[in-house]
Amino acid sequence: MSEKQITGQPLSRRTWLSAVLILVVIPATILLGVFVLEDRKYYFISLLIVFYTMIPFALVFEKRKPQARELIVIAVLAAIAVAGRSAFFMVPQFKPVVAIVIIAGVSFGAEAGFLVGATAGFVSNFFFGQGPWTPWQMFCFGLIGFLAGILFKKGLLKRTKLSLCLFGGLSTFFVYGGIINIGSVMMFSSQFSWEVLLASYVSGFWFDMVHALATVMFLFILARPMLEKLDRIKTKYGLIEPVSAKK
Amino acid sequence: MKDRFASFHPLVNFVYFASILVFSMVFMHPVLQAASLTSAVVYSIMLNGKKAVKFNLLYMLPLLLVAAVLNPVFNHAGVTILFYLKNGNPITLESILYGISAACMYVTVIVWFSCYNAVMTSDKFIYLFGKIMPALSLIFSMVLRFVPRYLAQIKVISNAQKCIGRDVTQGNLLARARNGMTILSIMTTWALENAIETADSMKSRGYGLPGRTSFSLFRFDARDQSVMLVLIGLIALVLFGALMGENTIRFFPSVKWLAVTPRSIAVYIAYFGLCMVPVIINVVEDMKWKRIESRI
Repeated sequence: MSEKQITGQPLSRRTWLSAVLILVVIPATILLGVFVLEDRKYYFISLLIVFYTMIPFALVFEKRKPQARELIVIAVLAAIAVAGRSAFFMVPQFKPVVAIVIIAGVSFGAEAGFLVGATAGFVSNFFFGQGPWTPWQMFCFGLIGFLAGILFKKGLLKRTKLSLCLFGGLSTFFVYGGIINIGSVMMFSSQFSWEVLLASYVSGFWFDMVHALATVMFLFILARPMLEKLDRIKTKYGLIEPVSAKK
Repeated sequence: MKDRFASFHPLVNFVYFASILVFSMVFMHPVLQAASLTSAVVYSIMLNGKKAVKFNLLYMLPLLLVAAVLNPVFNHAGVTILFYLKNGNPITLESILYGISAACMYVTVIVWFSCYNAVMTSDKFIYLFGKIMPALSLIFSMVLRFVPRYLAQIKVISNAQKCIGRDVTQGNLLARARNGMTILSIMTTWALENAIETADSMKSRGYGLPGRTSFSLFRFDARDQSVMLVLIGLIALVLFGALMGENTIRFFPSVKWLAVTPRSIAVYIAYFGLCMVPVIINVVEDMKWKRIESRI
């Protein structure tokens, strides 16, 4: 993942760390896969790479000793996402998780967006059952939250309904669907081929479509009231910027 | 039946599951796969009883069959051609075998995860990782607590709304939907306000100061030590086998694995023993208990 410097120190340390991971550890893992495991264990290798991309976030977050208020806001947003996922358990793919993750990213920044997404993915599987899919879900939710935060900071994503819904639909369909399908191909066949991937995209099309539509719908309804509530909390308790508010 | 393996130290449980899951994903040797799948199924039945039997037969068996059939349709590598499909693509023996093997691997991992879910409860996970990543594991435990709490709070709010005729069960469809949204909105505001209060309360009670303790206490006693040593010994043996190439199998272009020697038999036994550790512990403890009971 290419990280961009947005808020100075913490992010730049993360950029450095992810650079090491991307340039050294990930190629080493792939080489290990090619030579030791004879290039057959795509799933295992991809799983490790997914883990690596999450490590910098965890490390940086732990390093800067976050304050209780910051922790708890992330926990609340993740819990709302998890509760939303369990509330809609009987409708497959029709879940508000991505919508809440995007709102979190826009409101509290890229790092909080990533953490809310990854935590929601991880904890909701304590209710739904952990499995080889957990790291993929964590990664996809986290990535969408991270992207939402960065794009908002860069001014490409606006706080308007249209802009949020557009981003939500596209990111759910292409980022979440795109990556999750790769993950399921790796899990299922452990022999990577483009045909299987294509077949998986085709068979997953309606699932991803429903998921994307659900995200758009939830963003359409939730985006404004949720953002308003979060803004209110931020001004009332002085949580304007999670990074600057800690000192 | 109560699972004895779950009563061991979380570190023992975690090392066991981490190694078993990794090994099951990596080693595709048929003997090792059979060992892992058998022990996974036995242990899952031991843990979850009838539910596990149903789960394995109803979901895992069809999944295994579908995955096994899917691979040869897409994969045409291999030298032993059995027949040709209508579109001219060959179906090979190797790709069928590979499909079965990959499907076995997938199912084995899922069955192992069903055991993991029963043994590694969230408090054990937080106990293990609380020291390495305190902030994140605090978030995990808070989220786990918040979800049931919010569901209870929604009930409280909706009862209050019912008194003024604004519950989801009152009015026409549009009004119900609007009432539902209002309840969720109230819930969210309450959750955020309440969260800030919790945070301030945590801070005033010294959150973040050194010397923090955790809710569940586990002691790493002699019993844990001995099981841990056995686990490490068996893992070392299996890794030695992997280094010697005993645990791998080549599918393409033709199926090939190392000839069975006393060394490979030793590796197979070690792997099977590793997979069966919890089952063996359960059986042995059960026998001990029966013996004590019969003496009374």
